[in-house]
Amino acid sequence: MKVEEAPNPLAEGLHDYRVADPAVMVIFGATGDLSGRKLLPALYNLARQRSLPAGFAVLGAAMSDLTDDAFRKMASEKIHQFSRTQPIDERVLAPLLDLLFYVKVDFSQQDEFRKLGRKLQELDDARHTTGNRIFYCATPPQTYSLIAQQLMAAGLHAGKGFHRIVVEKPFGTDLQSARELTQTLQKAFPEDAVFRIDHYLGKETVQNILAFRFANSIFEPVWNANLIDSVQITIAEEIGIENRGRYYDTAGALRDIVQNHGLQLVTLTAMEPPLAFEAGAVRDEKVKVLRSIRPLIGEDIEQSTVRGQHTSGWVLGQQVVGYREEKDVAPDSQTETFAALRLFVDNWRWAGVPFYIRAGKRMPKRVTEIRIQFKRPPHLTFGREAMKEVDPNAITLRIQPEEGISLKFGAKVPSAGLRIRSVTMDFQYVTSFLVEAPEAYERLLLDCMIGDPTLFTRADEVEAAWMLIDPIENKWRSGRPPLAMYPAGTWGPDEATQLLKADGREWHRP
Amino acid sequence: MAPPVSAVQPDAQPMWHGEGVTVADVLGALGDIRYRFARAEAGDSEHLHPRNCVMTLIGIAPTEAHEVVAKRTTQAIGMQHPAQAIVIREEAPIRRRHLDAWITTDVRRPEMACAVECELITLHVRGKAADHLGALLDPLLVSGVPTYLWWLGTPPFGKRELLDALRVSDGLVVDSAQFDEPYRTFRRMASMLKVAHHRMGLADLQWSRLRPWRESIAQFFTPGDRRAFLGGISELGVDYAGDGRGNRIAASLITGWIASALGWKLRRATAGAGGVVAAMYQAGGRSVEVNFRSVPQNDRVPGEVSAVRIAGAAGGTTFRLSVMHDPPRPRDTSGSSYEWDRRRGDTERVLLTLIEIGGGEPLRHLQQLEPEDEAALLVELLSTGTHDEVYNRSLAAASDLVESI
Repeated sequence: MKVEEAPNPLAEGLHDYRVADPAVMVIFGATGDLSGRKLLPALYNLARQRSLPAGFAVLGAAMSDLTDDAFRKMASEKIHQFSRTQPIDERVLAPLLDLLFYVKVDFSQQDEFRKLGRKLQELDDARHTTGNRIFYCATPPQTYSLIAQQLMAAGLHAGKGFHRIVVEKPFGTDLQSARELTQTLQKAFPEDAVFRIDHYLGKETVQNILAFRFANSIFEPVWNANLIDSVQITIAEEIGIENRGRYYDTAGALRDIVQNHGLQLVTLTAMEPPLAFEAGAVRDEKVKVLRSIRPLIGEDIEQSTVRGQHTSGWVLGQQVVGYREEKDVAPDSQTETFAALRLFVDNWRWAGVPFYIRAGKRMPKRVTEIRIQFKRPPHLTFGREAMKEVDPNAITLRIQPEEGISLKFGAKVPSAGLRIRSVTMDFQYVTSFLVEAPEAYERLLLDCMIGDPTLFTRADEVEAAWMLIDPIENKWRSGRPPLAMYPAGTWGPDEATQLLKADGREWHRP
Repeated sequence: MAPPVSAVQPDAQPMWHGEGVTVADVLGALGDIRYRFARAEAGDSEHLHPRNCVMTLIGIAPTEAHEVVAKRTTQAIGMQHPAQAIVIREEAPIRRRHLDAWITTDVRRPEMACAVECELITLHVRGKAADHLGALLDPLLVSGVPTYLWWLGTPPFGKRELLDALRVSDGLVVDSAQFDEPYRTFRRMASMLKVAHHRMGLADLQWSRLRPWRESIAQFFTPGDRRAFLGGISELGVDYAGDGRGNRIAASLITGWIASALGWKLRRATAGAGGVVAAMYQAGGRSVEVNFRSVPQNDRVPGEVSAVRIAGAAGGTTFRLSVMHDPPRPRDTSGSSYEWDRRRGDTERVLLTLIEIGGGEPLRHLQQLEPEDEAALLVELLSTGTHDEVYNRSLAAASDLVESI
């Protein structure tokens, strides 16, 4: 049994300051895009907030042959270019750069991992990091297994201190590949040392879904099938595939967005209150939701899903090409750029309430939101005429942009007669807190250093999501339902409209 | 409050100004300003944008200089938190003229969101009205959001005017670094917690200034293999800026914080010449020796902590933690091919932590500190509220120490 360590009494009351143990963070792929755009700037901002512990060090590891100084120079340039906070405070940056080291590692060469091990030992001795190590795979997903295997072969996966490995989504391309990845990672690292990053969960507004639901007492009593008619989740992008044709044409909207972001939003909306905002409790409840979702199989898939692909059109006043005309996309590609699903969460709270999810590219604008649509009042007290302009109540949780929450309700129009009209009560993050939220990677890197996996995806969560998606993906690959086309700059194909119309509903226009 | 005399107009271009007015006049003017703003922002829409406000912040300014600081600070806070700010100063009595008022507004326009209007109400109060601040303030408060009372300078702890203002407040903010007669005022402040209403929180900007020190000290003891060091502390030393006795509140708060967190009991304390304090605490079966010493003030605020040293041993391993403010920086002679500008002129906001474990090479850790102006400290403090149990316990323990020397 794992014995919980008593909390540090001196850390009490330091509010959002969370203290990490000193450690060495090895960034595989340190010279790559993710490292330069996200990780190094996030580390700079953590240093700015005084969140890096004394002794902390970063060891960059990649194929390029760089000296420590060359790596520091590169890091400095990337931080200047991509940090969310500007201008860069050189007085913060200089001591941070002193903590950066570099070692050339060819992932296929076992000897090079031994060299990595020697460098780690040096840093441990000099910086009192007592063997604490975080291995961050900022590399293509197909290298995760190789890196884990090489770390194990070199004996770097275990020993004194903690040893954590961080991998980025996608976690496999289907259930089988996800299981294989999990098995490989778990051979070297126990599950609680595997940190699967889906940066979406590090966003403040995503976390605020839980705060909204569970820090307030007025919403939870109405958050169920008694009063809620349906839930709509929209994840729309106005951009196309942005030079990612090679990847996207093998993935599609279902695997790229719905399997992870879409289902994450369903779980956060539908989950039961966890006992605490703590990794085990939160992730248990999320997995319960995924397991409660009625699987779509056979005929259900044709009736409850829509797959679409955009043609040419106009987006934000610009003419754009169709998906099949994009670079690295097959001219007869059957890959979907739009996916819509109707799901049911078969449990006591949500029985009979449809969850509609749509995700697409080249839609009229970028927006991610969850709309909780309530039922109409049981009796029209004010008569049909007075209520004809009143929509049912709705709560909209806007994830991006214009992050906030809207409550829609009916109010009397000021006049001699009695007419009711829908109005909204809006909460906007930026106008209530005129401060910039931290970047998702800052939160997630610190969580990983502290060892808090609450906002990371657990293996059973990944597998439960793929179990729902795989049958749909397989059916879609057989051409059922047929691929529906939609002009760029619209909210998807007509079939998506019909999906809701058949239920007597319509999509909310975000 | 001592009634200073001033002919200075608080605001160059207020939205509204009235002399010899009532609070009802101020409320009426506020209503007009709010409606005009909302109407203008709504444009052609029938819907007015909702008004955002997360707190009412009241600044009590005993002097004209304090008033300037209070206004500048509340406006800076409005940059980050939509708030209604009220700044009050007592003026010399003029017959049948109890209240002069100014209202200014500051509009923020976040990207892709509706505009936010922050209001600053400046009140110059005369005569007996100044003894009834609660009655003056109550109608002006924004309903449903917390009200914080920031008393600049030395608050009149135990006096009616403070207690009356606290009646309508959720929290009192002070700066113990600014106290006149720090020894007496600090003790009065500590005893006030016993009589304050249960909702009221007490916050001290001095405590906020100590946060980076607390973080660095807490961080050292966080790794599991160093936790045992907490039970092995034998020495604590605090250096503070000042000549002679001066303001020892920050040094006492740091000591009170560690003592209350680790369950140390004060056994005895003595003060010597030149600001030296020696105290002995009992920690379980061990003794812990605590020493304060004053160091040349230079450009520091009187009483400001300049170094904390903690030493001890546990499990056969000795340790020493030194946290220093604005330490002299060693010259880099490594001749590195990529050179950093490590010796900038502006180094006063640096915190250096030196860690020695088991006699090895000391590990250096440099951290840059944010500016410690009132606005930055208040924003940090108010974002978490003024109810801080750790501060209350530290204050009580610090008060015990201060009383015994």
